[in-house]
Amino acid sequence: MPTFPSVEWFNAIKDIVNNDPNFRQLGTVDAVVGVKVENKIYQLTFEAFECTDVRDASESDLRDMDFWLEQPYDLWKDMLDNIKKHGAADLSHTLNTIDLNIPEGLARSTDGYRRDAFYRFNQSIQDFFNASAKIDTQYAPAEAVTA
Amino acid sequence: MANETATIPDNLRARAQEKGWPLDLVQQALDIGATAEQLIGYMDQGVTADQARQFLAAQAGAAGGGVEPSDALKAKAEEHGWPLDLIAQALSFGAAEEDLIRYMDMGVTVEQARQFMMNGGGGASIEVDLSWMQVPTEWNTRARPTKHGLTLEAINIGKYGEVPDVWEYQTEMPRGAVPIAGVEGMGYSIFQKQEVWSDACAPLYEEAIQRRWRPATDVPWTTIEPLPDDVERAMGQICTHLSEKAQVEADIIGHWEPEISYGYHEVKLYLATVVFEDARAVEVFRKRALSNGGGLGLQSPGWAYRAVVDARNFTEMTTIQMVLQDSLTLGQYEYMEKYAKNPAEKFIFGRMLQDKSRHIAYGITHLKYALLHKPERREEVQRYLDKGEGMQVMDDVRDTATREAFAVYFAGGRENAREGLRGADAMRRRGLQQYLSRLKWATLDRDERLHPGLRAVFES
Repeated sequence: MPTFPSVEWFNAIKDIVNNDPNFRQLGTVDAVVGVKVENKIYQLTFEAFECTDVRDASESDLRDMDFWLEQPYDLWKDMLDNIKKHGAADLSHTLNTIDLNIPEGLARSTDGYRRDAFYRFNQSIQDFFNASAKIDTQYAPAEAVTA
Repeated sequence: MANETATIPDNLRARAQEKGWPLDLVQQALDIGATAEQLIGYMDQGVTADQARQFLAAQAGAAGGGVEPSDALKAKAEEHGWPLDLIAQALSFGAAEEDLIRYMDMGVTVEQARQFMMNGGGGASIEVDLSWMQVPTEWNTRARPTKHGLTLEAINIGKYGEVPDVWEYQTEMPRGAVPIAGVEGMGYSIFQKQEVWSDACAPLYEEAIQRRWRPATDVPWTTIEPLPDDVERAMGQICTHLSEKAQVEADIIGHWEPEISYGYHEVKLYLATVVFEDARAVEVFRKRALSNGGGLGLQSPGWAYRAVVDARNFTEMTTIQMVLQDSLTLGQYEYMEKYAKNPAEKFIFGRMLQDKSRHIAYGITHLKYALLHKPERREEVQRYLDKGEGMQVMDDVRDTATREAFAVYFAGGRENAREGLRGADAMRRRGLQQYLSRLKWATLDRDERLHPGLRAVFES
């Protein structure tokens, strides 16, 4: 059972969407997306019709990404639990809705233009996280992500 | 032989030698009534000696008793002034009587009919001219598909990928083809790259094509359930407003398309997808308004629309429409996605976010390109935005219906409309913040110049 957050967990999702014709049908995605869970940072690369790479990243890598998704660990868990329960994010847990609910925003960037990739590929990134409903996730202890 | 050639005028003789028509053939044609001018004309049109001989042979056959025309055909020929020898010749070529009658009724003249038969009568072989195969275009071009397929960027290789700063042709000649003289202009008025270009337009075109969706069948329409009357009325008003905005953008971009010369086909192609996506927006908002027991609402005052319609140059239109207006519209889509009451609305506004952000991507990358290549246009662009923002404020003051509709929808009913107004203001703030942030990316600082009426949103 893959642990969130980890490269292993993101790779499991990557394998699901890369073999899902529905993900391909959403169209091309070209973005480098960060996921920041407290002190843990991961870089997801999307190219053409698939997620091509998942890797650990650092704070300094964020500025080279199109945007990154950041929220407190509890809210990450709440989002993923909701997806698991409903098979996909419900009306209150889509990435866009969460983005508006957090004062600092879920999608962040150092670049006013590149952040718009969050909108341009919104449904594909949403689909990526929705795919987590197909795996059983265990969560890392809070100390592990704040260390 | 000397007697036969004596009747051939010198100019006809010279042209016959030049075109390879034997003089006995020329003489034969003159003998049956062709004039020197007609023969020179046929030669200049490319009629070969063989075709001429075939024509004369057919005519001789007709004269010698070929297919006899019917009385009805003779009468029709007399009515239209077609000589019987021509009729007989056409019949001997295999023409049907009813076809000949139709040609005469269509007004085909004797001269046109003779010329048609001299050129082979539709049944004889036509000599081909393959000089077009020698045109000096760049040859041996082999574009290869990428991970994204065979994209516009993938085929932009060699001379075909060279986008000039100034396009010199007024015709529809594709970039990389060879021009010919005398072609009429197509009425293009934009010939400078900086006026329209964005380095993003080719990938944006491909992205728009790949990420298209279909409102009729993709939206889960059956998930819409009856809403309280005031909330449904609010949605009807919002859909009226959003479909109006989309139609204006489609109309305006459609108006500018034929102004852009063909050298910048990537821009033309991308803008075609914007028109298509705006049509899809009009479609989906109208469908939503009419799908749940409600209907449309009040028309918008339309001041902001006029700022776009009245734009006198392309960058002015793009900056007001695809940076200012679309930033505010994107904010509306974001908030409508957040407050969606059912999966159908969630789907609609989620997809609209994607479409609209591409429009903004073109607008802002074009603006940056224009400002970097023509820095002297900075003040000009600021003035366009002064005007666009001013007109937007005029709308904001007068269009209370739309603002209140957002408030009622966000609050889930009229009784909490005041709370909903805070959401509507937050939506406007977000749209403006992102607008200013995008302008900064395009190297244009507008923090201090923002219209006071819009600045007030940040102070409320």
